Amino acid sequence: MQSMLAAGARPRRTVTPAPLLLLAGLMLVTGIAGGLYRLGIAPAAVAATDWLGRAALAHAALMIGAFLGTVIGIERAVAVKLPAAWLAPIASALGGACLLLGQAYAGAWLGVAAAALFAAVNVVVVRRQPAVHTALLWLASVAWLGGNLLFATGAASEAVLPWWFGFLVVTIAAERAEMTRLMRRRPAAHPLLFGVLAVMYAGAAASGFAPRLGGLLYGLSLTALACWFFAFDIARRTVATNGLPRYMAVCLLAGYLWLAIGGIGWALTALGWPLRDTALHALGLGFVFSMMMAHAPVILPAVARIKIEFGRFFYVPLAALHASLLLRLAAGWFDAALRSMGAVLNAASIALFAVTLVGAAIAWHIQHDAPTVQDILHG
Amino acid sequence: MSETVSLQAAPAPVPDTRSPFPYEGPQELRRPIAEALQRVVDPEVAMSIVDVGLVYGVTVAQGRIHLLLTMTSVACPVADVIVDDVESELDRIAPPDLQIQVELVWEPPWTPARMSERAKIFMGW
Repeated sequence: MQSMLAAGARPRRTVTPAPLLLLAGLMLVTGIAGGLYRLGIAPAAVAATDWLGRAALAHAALMIGAFLGTVIGIERAVAVKLPAAWLAPIASALGGACLLLGQAYAGAWLGVAAAALFAAVNVVVVRRQPAVHTALLWLASVAWLGGNLLFATGAASEAVLPWWFGFLVVTIAAERAEMTRLMRRRPAAHPLLFGVLAVMYAGAAASGFAPRLGGLLYGLSLTALACWFFAFDIARRTVATNGLPRYMAVCLLAGYLWLAIGGIGWALTALGWPLRDTALHALGLGFVFSMMMAHAPVILPAVARIKIEFGRFFYVPLAALHASLLLRLAAGWFDAALRSMGAVLNAASIALFAVTLVGAAIAWHIQHDAPTVQDILHG
Repeated sequence: MSETVSLQAAPAPVPDTRSPFPYEGPQELRRPIAEALQRVVDPEVAMSIVDVGLVYGVTVAQGRIHLLLTMTSVACPVADVIVDDVESELDRIAPPDLQIQVELVWEPPWTPARMSERAKIFMGW
C-alpha cells in the first residue's frame, strides 16, 4: 500500500539539516565543559586550550542562547514550515561558535540577529493562530531579544540573565498554557498567569538598575509560576497514566518543584544570600533540562526524523539529574567538593540521557526493522 | 477497493464512541478506521487523537482514504510525526488498493468542545 499525498494537501515534511543539529550538540557539550571549568573541573588534556576558557566565560550564552535557543528555533521552524524560519537557529548556533572561536563581538550580534529573526517567526505564529499561548511564545522571543541586546552591549550578567531565563521559562509557560485548554477553564487561570508574567518582566527590567528589587520580584514570580503550574497543568492528571505520558508528567512535576526552589533562590540571592548557584541551576538544570528530558522523546522524532522506543530506562538519567542536582545544591551548601561532584554528576546525567536517546533509537529500529520469522522463511 | 463506495449522507449519526468523527464510506471500514485512529496517541496529553477531537472527518471514496486532521497549536512541531503515525495505523488496516491521504487543516480551529466525553472525564471536566 502506498501513501498518497495530493499536491497541496500537506506541506512537505521538514528535516533539520544534520550540520545544524551537530552544531547545537557541540554548543551543549562545550557549554557544559565551560561550566565545569568554572568550578575548576577540567581534564588535563583540554584545560590549557583557549576555547575552554572562552566556553567558561560564555557558559550561559552557550547553554541558553546557542544550545537551547537553537533547539527551540529548530522546533519552531519545523512547525511553521517557512524556509526563512531556519535563519534564526542557524544564527544562534553560529553565534555560539563565534563565541568559542574568540569572536565575541560577532557572536553576540549574531545572537541578537537570531532572537530578532525568531521574534519575527513568532509574529507569523501569532498571525496564524491568535491565541494566548502564541502571544506568550512571541513575548518569550522578545525576552530573548532583550537579553541578547543587553549582552551585546556589555550589560552585567544580573541584567542579562533574567531576560535569558525569561525566554526559556515563558516559552515553557506558553506551551503548558496551551495544554491547559484541555482542562475545564477556570476563570482565574489566565489572569493569574498574566499577573505572574507581568511581575516577571517587571523584575527582569528592574534588575538592570535596581538589582535588589528586580531580583526579588523576578524570583517571587518564578515561584508563583511554579504554583500556577501545580494548580493548572495537565501533568497532575497525565501522571496517573503510564508509559511515555507518565514519564513526561514526572519530568514536568519534578521540574516545577525546582522552578519553585530556583525562584526562592533567585529572590534570596538578590537579598544578599550566597545562593546564586541554587538560583541559576535549580532553574537551568532542575526546571529547563527536566522539561527537555520530558520532550526529547517526542521532539527528536519531529526535528531529526529519528524514531524512539520509549522504555523505563528513561527514568534513570532523569533520576540521576535530580539526585545530582540535590547533591550539588543541598550538600554543596556545606562542602565545595560535594558541589563540584554534584556538577560533574549533572553533566554525567545529561550524557547518560544522550546515550539513552541513542539506545532508544537503536531499540526502535531493532523492534521495527528486524526481520520476522515469516520474512526469513519466505526470503 | 473494487466495491462501490457509498457517498450518501449518513442517515443518522450512529452513537459509536470509537469513531466520534464524520465518516463517509463503506460501513465495513468504519470500525477498523476508528480503531486504527484510536491507536494514535498524543503522548503529551496521554489521549488518542480521536478523543482529543483532532480528527475532523474521514472519507473513503475513489480508491482512497482521505482524512482531515488538525492540531491544537500551529506552533506544534510534532504534527508531522502524528500524521506519520496516522498513515502507519491506517496502512495496517486498509485494503491494499486503497491510498491514504492525510490533510492537515486549521479551519475551523480546534476547541475543547471537540473532546470526547471520555477525554473530558479524564481531564476532570
